[in-house]
Amino acid sequence: MTYLRHVLDHLRKDLRLEWRSRDSINGMLFFALLVVVVFGLAFDPTSYPTTTRQISGGILWVALLFACITALNQSWNRELRNQVLEAQRMAPSPASALFLGKAIANMLFVLVVEAVLAPIFIIFFNLHVLGSVWLLALVLPLGTWALVVNGTFFAALGLRARNRELLLPLLLLPISLPALLAMVQATTGILTTDLDSIQIGTWIKQLAGYDIIFTTICILLFETILNAE
Amino acid sequence: MEQRTPSLRSVAWLWFGIAVAILIIGFRQAIFLTPTDAAQGDVGRIFYYHVPIAMLSLLFPYLNFAASLLYLYWRMRDPLKALAADAFALASAEVTVVYATITLLSGMIWGRVAWGIWWTWDARLTSMLLLWLLYVSYLMLRNFSPTGQSHTLAAVLSIFAAVDVPIVYMSIRWWRTQHPAPVFGGGPNAGMDKSMLPAFFWNLAGWAVWGIFILLFRFALERRRQINEQEAALHAIEASLEIPQ
Amino acid sequence: MTWHSLFDFSTMANRHLIAAYAVVLGIQAGYLGWVARNWMRAKGSRD
Repeated sequence: MTYLRHVLDHLRKDLRLEWRSRDSINGMLFFALLVVVVFGLAFDPTSYPTTTRQISGGILWVALLFACITALNQSWNRELRNQVLEAQRMAPSPASALFLGKAIANMLFVLVVEAVLAPIFIIFFNLHVLGSVWLLALVLPLGTWALVVNGTFFAALGLRARNRELLLPLLLLPISLPALLAMVQATTGILTTDLDSIQIGTWIKQLAGYDIIFTTICILLFETILNAE
Repeated sequence: MEQRTPSLRSVAWLWFGIAVAILIIGFRQAIFLTPTDAAQGDVGRIFYYHVPIAMLSLLFPYLNFAASLLYLYWRMRDPLKALAADAFALASAEVTVVYATITLLSGMIWGRVAWGIWWTWDARLTSMLLLWLLYVSYLMLRNFSPTGQSHTLAAVLSIFAAVDVPIVYMSIRWWRTQHPAPVFGGGPNAGMDKSMLPAFFWNLAGWAVWGIFILLFRFALERRRQINEQEAALHAIEASLEIPQ
Repeated sequence: MTWHSLFDFSTMANRHLIAAYAVVLGIQAGYLGWVARNWMRAKGSRD
């Protein structure tokens, strides 16, 4: 139970800090909106409604991926100032609690952005969800967690690297590609009903499996990279 | 180490010689002795270079994984062994990228003439591309991360990559079962006529022996660099100790 | 196949065959050369 308490403490700290400045969330929201607009101009949704529905799953996740990366890059910035990271290392709570707290905080931020983005996306792209919306409500958090958990870990990995901001997408994207494939396929399957429920279910199970495997690995290995020197 | 060096060098040169000899035999088998493929013609001889190297490129990532695990295990317990494990991890990652690059390029050249397309997103090609991306990202991390930390960080990334490889393979295969795309040939052993076997096995053996040679050569180079660094650091410390006097 | 028919550059198929083998041997030789060059340099600084 103390572990959970530590996680909640870290979570509350991150949420409170973010609430005071709100720059991360505002930046992400605006960035995701801009990406949707860019894609709208690039793919002209009104002229090609059927094609639009088929690619909208991919576009949604690419937009979210970019928004995630911009947020994740600065998620560890707070720990760099005033040598907070050293203090964290010496704290008695397990390092993975720090990681989980921050990952959950990032998750909440991205979910807020998704909640705002989804209606805008539907409007700009004239989307009618042909399949079950509840399944979509399952795929979005699972997919987001896959990006956020690995992203938070790799953002910490590159913390003292030069070209820190460049390194995050270079590391995150190759590792995330199977999860991206699963979330895009599941989303497109739900939006277009090109896939039957068994196939969608398989993609969702793969995504859930990916989440479980990589969350475990991140929790086990975070202490190692925190104390990498 | 000085006394071991001459015999170690002879073994290295011998191994190199064996690798080159087997490769020459393999080349002769593939180009001159194996009968021309009925369906593909002579261009099908690319098979004897492309497929063995593709198979071997799936082996080296796991050497990298094992070395990274050893590094993390020995990091606190036996730093000298850990450093050697790290050198081996780096060498095997580089050899992975070399072999994967060759697989991709030779496959593209072959595909262009056999199937008319440079690329397709079929299961095997996509998986190989993702493998290449994973290990290139590993090498980039090693270059970008600050010295001192890069060994540990890279070892951790290697674990992520190694776990990801089977996941990539399974998910892309499932994706391509749903939406079949043109496949570049059958499986590596599908449709191999008996006349193809000698060339295939000679080249498999040749590139495997070569792979071991170049891996160990690169490992030795990295060890040499590490030792040079340690000596330089030692000199710097000794020099700084002499200053107050 | 013979040496003569191997180096016949008139057909696309044959050009691709040569190109593929050249790429394989070129990349392996290139990597070997890079490692060997660095080996010489690392050794030189020691003596």
